[in-house]
Amino acid sequence: MRWACILFPQLALDAVLRRRDDPQAPLVLLSGPLQRRVLQAVNPSAQALGLRRGQTLTVARALVEHFDCEEYQPQQVEHWQQFLAAWGYRFSSHVSLDFPRALLLEVESSLSLFGPWPRFEQRLREELQALGFQHRIVLAPNALAARILANVADGLAVDEAQLPQRLGSLPISRCGFAPEVASAFAGMGLRRLEQVHALPRASVAKRFSRAVLEHIDRLHGHLPQALDCYRPPDHFHGRIEFNFDVESSTALLFPLRRLTADLASFLAGRDCGVQRFLLLLEHRGGTATEVRVGLLSAEREPEMLFELARGRLEPVQLVAPVQALSLQAQDLPRFVPAAAELFTERPQQSLGWEQLRERLRARLGDEAVGGIAAQADHRPERAWSELGQGTRVSGAQVPRPGWLLSDPQPLSDFFPRVLAGPERIESGWWDGADVRRDYYLIETADGRRAWVFHPAGKPDQFWVHGWFA
Amino acid sequence: MSSPYAELHCLSNFSFQRGASSAQELFERAHQHGYSALAITDEATLAGIVRAWQAAQAAGLKLIVGSEVQIDQGPRLVLLVENLTGYQHLCSLLTRARRRAKKGDYQLLAEDLDETTDGLLALWLPDDDQNEAHGRWLAERFTQRLWLAVELHRGPDDARRLDQLQGLAARLGLPCVASGDVHMHARGRRALQDTITAIRHHCTVMDAGHRLFANGERHLRSLPVLAAIYPAALLTETLRIAKRCHFDLGQLRYQYPHEVVPSGHSPASWLRELTQRGMRWRWPDGVSDKVTEQVENELQLIAEKGYDSYFLTVQDIVEFARRQQILCQGRGSAANSAVCYALGITEINPVHSNMLFERFISRERDEPPDIDVDFEHERREEVIQYVFRRYGRERAALTAVANTYHAAGALRDVARALGLPGEQIDQLARCCGRWRRTLPDAERLAEAGFDANNPALHRILTLAGELIGFPRHLSQHPGGFVISEAPLHTLVPVENASMAERTVIQWDKDDLDAVGLLKVDILALGMLSALRRCFDLLRHYRNLDLSLASIPADDKPTYEMISRADTVGVFQIESRAQMAMLPRLRPQNFYDLVIEVSIVRPGPIQGDMVHPYLRRRNGEEPVVYPSEELKQVFERTLGVPLFQEQVMALAIVAAGYTPGEADQLRRSMAAWKRHGGLEPHEQRLTDGMLERGYSREFAARIFEQIKGFGSYGFPESHAASFALLTYASCWLKCHEPAAFTCALINSWPMGFYSPDQLLQDARRHGIETRPVDVEHSDWDCTLEPARTEQMAIRLGLRQIKGFSEPEAQRIVAARELQPFADVADLVQRAELGARSRSLLADSGALRALAGGRFRARWAVAGVEPQLALFSGQSAPREAPAAIPAPSVVEDMQADYASVGTTFGPHPLSLLRTELDSRRCRSFRDLLQLEPDSPVVVAGLVVGRQRPGTATGVTFVTLEDEFGMINVVVWRDLAERQRQALVGSQLLLVKGRFEARDGVRHVIARQLHDLTELLTGLTIRSRDFH
Repeated sequence: MRWACILFPQLALDAVLRRRDDPQAPLVLLSGPLQRRVLQAVNPSAQALGLRRGQTLTVARALVEHFDCEEYQPQQVEHWQQFLAAWGYRFSSHVSLDFPRALLLEVESSLSLFGPWPRFEQRLREELQALGFQHRIVLAPNALAARILANVADGLAVDEAQLPQRLGSLPISRCGFAPEVASAFAGMGLRRLEQVHALPRASVAKRFSRAVLEHIDRLHGHLPQALDCYRPPDHFHGRIEFNFDVESSTALLFPLRRLTADLASFLAGRDCGVQRFLLLLEHRGGTATEVRVGLLSAEREPEMLFELARGRLEPVQLVAPVQALSLQAQDLPRFVPAAAELFTERPQQSLGWEQLRERLRARLGDEAVGGIAAQADHRPERAWSELGQGTRVSGAQVPRPGWLLSDPQPLSDFFPRVLAGPERIESGWWDGADVRRDYYLIETADGRRAWVFHPAGKPDQFWVHGWFA
Repeated sequence: MSSPYAELHCLSNFSFQRGASSAQELFERAHQHGYSALAITDEATLAGIVRAWQAAQAAGLKLIVGSEVQIDQGPRLVLLVENLTGYQHLCSLLTRARRRAKKGDYQLLAEDLDETTDGLLALWLPDDDQNEAHGRWLAERFTQRLWLAVELHRGPDDARRLDQLQGLAARLGLPCVASGDVHMHARGRRALQDTITAIRHHCTVMDAGHRLFANGERHLRSLPVLAAIYPAALLTETLRIAKRCHFDLGQLRYQYPHEVVPSGHSPASWLRELTQRGMRWRWPDGVSDKVTEQVENELQLIAEKGYDSYFLTVQDIVEFARRQQILCQGRGSAANSAVCYALGITEINPVHSNMLFERFISRERDEPPDIDVDFEHERREEVIQYVFRRYGRERAALTAVANTYHAAGALRDVARALGLPGEQIDQLARCCGRWRRTLPDAERLAEAGFDANNPALHRILTLAGELIGFPRHLSQHPGGFVISEAPLHTLVPVENASMAERTVIQWDKDDLDAVGLLKVDILALGMLSALRRCFDLLRHYRNLDLSLASIPADDKPTYEMISRADTVGVFQIESRAQMAMLPRLRPQNFYDLVIEVSIVRPGPIQGDMVHPYLRRRNGEEPVVYPSEELKQVFERTLGVPLFQEQVMALAIVAAGYTPGEADQLRRSMAAWKRHGGLEPHEQRLTDGMLERGYSREFAARIFEQIKGFGSYGFPESHAASFALLTYASCWLKCHEPAAFTCALINSWPMGFYSPDQLLQDARRHGIETRPVDVEHSDWDCTLEPARTEQMAIRLGLRQIKGFSEPEAQRIVAARELQPFADVADLVQRAELGARSRSLLADSGALRALAGGRFRARWAVAGVEPQLALFSGQSAPREAPAAIPAPSVVEDMQADYASVGTTFGPHPLSLLRTELDSRRCRSFRDLLQLEPDSPVVVAGLVVGRQRPGTATGVTFVTLEDEFGMINVVVWRDLAERQRQALVGSQLLLVKGRFEARDGVRHVIARQLHDLTELLTGLTIRSRDFH
């Protein structure tokens, strides 16, 4: 067997860089608690400025005035590993994710399909380049050797005969031993694997756990390496988070192109298509706008997916700034869903709520039908929001009119009866829309109940803000 | 016509993150509105009540002491103190609630109110459900002392709410009273109140939603406004309650603990007795008349002011330390009295010191005496535990520190509450200096990329500006103890500290003075540990019995050493700034040391005072006095004010202050940076001095100097105590350098230098240093016989990073039984674990048993646990293994990594050829170099300092194999070559060599990072601080 190891030396960074406009700008990923932020990953242009992995942010700031920072997100790394495994599944039916930040492919059986190794390797590199992932590729007779050699080499292809010599020259610190073992070897002055290999086996066995000799044997292929096989998932989920608020849907097109291309690549790996998928425009506080994209038939051509999605996205009016865009495709045509609704025996007159909503939408237009959610804000005009789907916030325990006017109107009734009030509302200084008003519940001459206010300190001008039913 | 009103429910900013105004603001505003009284009812705390009391006196308005509390699963109420008994009940109630919760929190249980609450009035604050059961429950406990508080804040329907509450009160037969639930003094604080609410809930104001108040009505409203809201009867009721509350904090009476006086004695007679005993001990050959007279005067004054018990309390603690052989030293205005010398509190002999101390306690000003006692830093805990044991936890507790917002913290919290992203919060906070109390200016903000005109940033700056100086939380004072005769919780609530087994009273040290509570400061000082260890070593190895008091005074070689700035490791005068001063000042006697200790401080430098003193001392400037009277004050410092005491004397002599006013000035000096408040003194001083014939210009200069003193100005009494330790440590370094270095390393971490630097300094003084070795080393560093006059220093096992003391002690014990045969023998008899075996091998300590560190590591890894059955049999022989020998560089790197110093060649000597080719001069070469010549130097960066006082200058210390080279990097170079400056471990500097008065340094023109030459070598570097 021959194993190719594809190592992703800066997976977390690539995951961030691929969605940034300017990948050349100095960028670092941060981790650690707020009081001690540490540079977890550093891109090449930041490295050129002297920033290093493991530095504290304080030191980095002392060194370099301007560079961009983003949060290091381990779950993102996990996500992209899954994505890359799905991609690799196209080239080999034996793909393993057992080593972090690396993909192991058994390629012996794929060579007939994808050509001799240098050409196969070239193809892998081209595709990874296009997807935006830095990588190192090593081919070796066993999976562990491929993985370990990738620590120090790129583009290496080793056969059985060359393996012992290649392994022998490996520095001890890069051989994949547990840290305490590596430091024990270093403490004994042993620098290369061949020095350890040359020691009497019995003496090594006396000083170290069995795993050490086993590891060496596995590297040389004397012991088999058991690997878990990757099983592709049956749905796709891609997400891009912005570190700024996106206010217009056109600004979403660049990330959208990324997502649809990732989807297409995933579909190609699974040899299937997509018939409908969902775009989620995520807003602050966990709410999101949904955009559904449906196709007449299963597709997987990236340009077509992008155009279709774009057609649905562009007309969308953003109700709030978008903080992240995600794409979910559950429905992959390998399992064509049973058309259950065709045979349901629902009585004609009773209409499901969803259908009613959709019918109203169809008649009145998408914008005319919306959901309402309460928001925790003392300002009446901000206490509601129109949202497709909002998180439920229980409203304040105060009487509020069912019909709130979007623009207050001057009160034309001259002799209202005050039923309650004044209720003073002073709030909202933080976003430049501070209000200071005194509200009254009044009954107008014609018996209607209105909610009126005057600006605090200016009792001469009353405005109607809402009507009680 | 509006009816009079007393506010009975009002929070100050000591209800942390709730109250948005200080007591001072509240009282000023309440007074303006014509309120009849103001209650301060902070939630479950009396931490702000002393300040409220002072504010009330200043505003001339009555304070009612109280507290708002939430009973666990019960009603919320305001407790108001009617009389002294009520105050004591409130203190113990709050103490109980605080002690059962974690720090900063409280839990008041319903059953706590089953005990007597006499003297406390209660206002019930019904919740929205208006739970009648709560009211009935309270009515049973506060018979005739319970009111229903009606608080109207322009809610949706105040009229209905008033009706409902009055109905509720009528059903329960309770009187109603109006109150305001005041959170701020004026409506203008609404934004700040919203912000701190968000800070309290750890969210942004945008997300705080209904946790914010709907409006800004919770402020001190004017009487006409109140009259429009509340029925007159409810307002009048407030006055009835206010009239019933006649407690004043001035009624508190503190009593000293009785233990310190044996029966049959009064405090005064016992103090006299102890002092006389001490005089016989201090002066076995008889006491001079002068001393007798001084002691007599002091005792009379102490008795007159009633401070006998205070001196006895301190004496008792010091006596305990002496019995335990814990070295200690008192300082402070009262510490350097003849009585304290006789009692053993200080070692400064009033006869030997030819200083003119100010009177140690002033008759006129009612300031409690001030004695701080420093103890060995590693053994202070024993003293603290003794205090708790002797007086019990009920009667002894630590003082609190009310931590207040400084600029960076305020900006940080406000920016977070206003939703600024984390990165920008950091950048914004970085624009403020550390501990600064002022916001960064627009220019500084612009440098960091912020636009001060941006509305969002403007909001942040405004709010942060309001928040600066607000108390944030209580923490424990490092060593300020309050001890009393009665349980402390009858004086002040006691709560838990973050350290387990510590309790803290709710008052800050400043509050104690105002209420007349006495505190003893039990502080920690590393140098005392080192000195005690050094005395022990000398007794053990050199048969020399020395103590602080018996070290020979006025030793010429010691002062010569000091004048050479050969002071690595000694107390106070070892820093770079001090060392630069020493050759210019050339101290010749003890008082010169007192000046030296005080002169290099941020205060005097800012006040432009150091140089005049030096110039005058070196005869470069005539010594003149503005007047004959001031000559007396300033003669000992050549006409230059250096000490707080002198500034006070100056105010008395030249500006006509009374001693009490001068003390006020001293306090304002210490506080003006935080709170301001020097302005009235400026006018007063100037007028006073003009009146007495001093020039306006002189007055202005004096005032500038006073401001410069700030909080750093050093009292002469403290300086004298410090100088004594400085002299003792210098004497030891001069005459017993081996023992002194050994003691310093064993007391580390302390002081300015690392053990590596101390050892290098010792070697340069011809002392032999020996590596750590299991056959010779103890846990501590020890002295061994050597061919030289000074003994050799043997490194202790404590220097091995990560090695534990119990294992070291086992090694020593096993070795004393019988020397080790081999590594296996060592491992077995000392029962060493795998980790410590490796640590020993890596340190080179097994050299004698197993050879170099690589072979040793291989050998210890091969030791197998031996079964008892086979003990005595040697293990079967192993096949030989090819283990390499370490190179010189590998040994050096391992030395640094394990014991932090090397006994092989210094890394720079390994690089010297390389450095020669770059024309680098060594430290030794510089001694011969002409001043003002161009020079290239290189060395390990062992220090980088950017003192706040030297604007923009970075001082870099380079170490090579011969010594330390001081480099000065000016601001523009530092900015141009930031990376080389901050990032280098090995730095090459091109520049100009300067030398004056024995002070040598290199002014950098260009920096080069040579760290690559050193790859792998780690040198700990003292970074900016």
